[in-house]
Amino acid sequence: MKSLYNRTSTFNGIYFLLLINRTQMHYYVLIMPVYLVHSYMIWGIVVMGLLSQLNVMLLSKWFTSSYAAKGYQGFLQLFGKRMVQVFAIFGLLIILLKISILSLGYVEMLHSFIYPSMDKKWLILVILLISLFVASHGMEKTLRFVVIAFLCGAWILIVFIPFFFPPIANYRDLYPLIPTEWSGQSWQGLLFIWSAYSGSVYLAFMVPWLSSNKKITKYLVIGNMLTIIEYLLLFIATILFYGSSFLSKINFPVVYMGSYIETNALDRIDYILISFHMFNYVFDISILLLCFYGAIRVIMSKMNERTTRIGLLSSWFVILISIILMNQWLWQSVPGQKMLLNIQIWLGAFIYLLVPTILFIAVKRKESI
Amino acid sequence: MVLYKHYGILVIVSLMWMSGCSSPFVENNMIEEIAPVVFWSVDKGAEGKLKISTLVPPLIQEEKRLLSNEVDLLKQGGKEFNLIYYRELKQGQLRMLLINEELAKEGGIEKLINTILVDPDISMRVYLLVVRGDFDEYIKNQLTKQENQDYFLYRMLEHYEEHNQGEMSIVNIHQFMKRLYSPLKDPILPVFHSDKNNFNYVGTAFFQKDKEVMVIQDVDDEIFQLLDNDHFLKILAIPKLSISLGRIRSNVRMKLSRDYSSLSLHVRLTGRIEEYHGENNIQKEEQLEQLIHEIEVHLEEQTSDLLKRMQQWKVDPLEVGTYSLKPFSKEITDEQWMEYWENMKINVDYDIKLYPLINVERLL
Repeated sequence: MKSLYNRTSTFNGIYFLLLINRTQMHYYVLIMPVYLVHSYMIWGIVVMGLLSQLNVMLLSKWFTSSYAAKGYQGFLQLFGKRMVQVFAIFGLLIILLKISILSLGYVEMLHSFIYPSMDKKWLILVILLISLFVASHGMEKTLRFVVIAFLCGAWILIVFIPFFFPPIANYRDLYPLIPTEWSGQSWQGLLFIWSAYSGSVYLAFMVPWLSSNKKITKYLVIGNMLTIIEYLLLFIATILFYGSSFLSKINFPVVYMGSYIETNALDRIDYILISFHMFNYVFDISILLLCFYGAIRVIMSKMNERTTRIGLLSSWFVILISIILMNQWLWQSVPGQKMLLNIQIWLGAFIYLLVPTILFIAVKRKESI
Repeated sequence: MVLYKHYGILVIVSLMWMSGCSSPFVENNMIEEIAPVVFWSVDKGAEGKLKISTLVPPLIQEEKRLLSNEVDLLKQGGKEFNLIYYRELKQGQLRMLLINEELAKEGGIEKLINTILVDPDISMRVYLLVVRGDFDEYIKNQLTKQENQDYFLYRMLEHYEEHNQGEMSIVNIHQFMKRLYSPLKDPILPVFHSDKNNFNYVGTAFFQKDKEVMVIQDVDDEIFQLLDNDHFLKILAIPKLSISLGRIRSNVRMKLSRDYSSLSLHVRLTGRIEEYHGENNIQKEEQLEQLIHEIEVHLEEQTSDLLKRMQQWKVDPLEVGTYSLKPFSKEITDEQWMEYWENMKINVDYDIKLYPLINVERLL
């Protein structure tokens, strides 16, 4: 059996662009408008996006460093074996939580729009099976799957163009453009945006495939820019469509907007949009699944041994069980769901802040010695 | 690599197993066994109940009949119809919700409409209509005269919605709810009159929250289409001046004074004279000017009167309040706005550009 983590060729710049962009577009984007609500949060998206730009530049420094090129060995040299294992344990939990929230969020959407009478466990099982299928092709192929995820996800924005024109849009709905009052909720909104940008941080650990000596900063920055534009387009479209006060009453505003676009030939465009979103989720989940398995291997110090089918399957199984339990115990109640989302938002924000900085400082320190 | 292909088989096998041993798919949408509902007509029933009715089966060559039922809740009605009719009623194709005027005047239709809005099975483009009179009586009477009357009704609404051509105010659920929930906006709905033989458009109803407070018709409704709703009218007939104007486009400018004490409304109309039965010779430039001036004065009076009534009833369907929003200052609340709106001085100014379909003597 060929290893899951083999590397046969290097990725060129355009892959970096797509990877950054796609890892930042997921569940959060679809529920983001409900959290932001006020039109002045447009500036929040822009400011946080620019800050994320700095982070992405730090990441690109890491990708081009000599330690990154060595992959796992590079991490060992930087932090020592013990430390790497401790990091991996933290990472394992963070990844587990992220996969769970992603799949639970998507499944909830599927459940409420397309299969309202189906037991959610089936939907969880199906989406994880598809991700397992993708992940079983190995890291390299999964990373290349980003092209499909991008092609299937990016065109959806075009569908939202009609929302920018009258009679649907009335631009006075956007006023006032500056915050007239600032509350704890507004801070949370900013945190939420920052956390939404955080998806790209996982790329830091895929250095064996991604590290390169080429100039990739440009591509990373453009990828992040694309994300900012996508966030802005979606958010402004929802504000124009609903207006702030109506927006806070809707659970999946973006999907409902999809169903508002009707043509004579196709009635329920939202079904098509939700289905196409699946590619993005599958990509995200399968990447994280491989990371999860990788982290287990690091913890058990089996990095030098071959990957096994049992290993991948059992990590998949752990994820499946924990998602089903999380769904049973937490997600189905409002306080539980709120708690999970809040933990994920805070964790996402923290790791996005810490990981690139720590890596950058560690490399700088080693180099200066 | 070869071994991994088995995962694909694993996926397929589990899918088959899933659909086989326990069925997660409860919905049965066999087209031969269901009856998609095209409209719900909701009326006031006895003792605070709702009387809802619909026509079944729509669009299938089978004898049609009107089902109606008195229930407490809308969805309960849908369920109870299944018990008295041999097909299962499905709401996915719901296109119209007709609400009796009595119910609309009472207020509280928000809950009713919200039920339809939040249902992911039902499109947000369901048309909302207020019906004056007994719709059930009409549709029952039409059963024998014209088949598929309910569907044709839907096609009519769709026809006039498509290009906003100014015959009717057509409102769907989303538009109604957006205006209902947003501050500084009041919802509107079209009103139709219905009796045994006729079903016709009356005018536009203005709502205070979810309660109907006034209905405008005829010239008032036409002016309303010009001012806000469509900004276009195919025909504007002014019998008083014996003239019909056609293909009118309007360009409306509203200007609020800084302290919200006055509003100046400037309307520019362009169109053509399609019919004239009056005394003036509109081939003469002077007399044409004279006529246009008369039309301006007439419309200004009518519009001022309409706006005054809106102020009296404390409704703002023209969304004048949104003009108080500015990019860099705090928005005013609904209550504050209503106070300003009630006492606002309104200055209406029409500027009409018309060309007759006959030659006007331009030479000296």
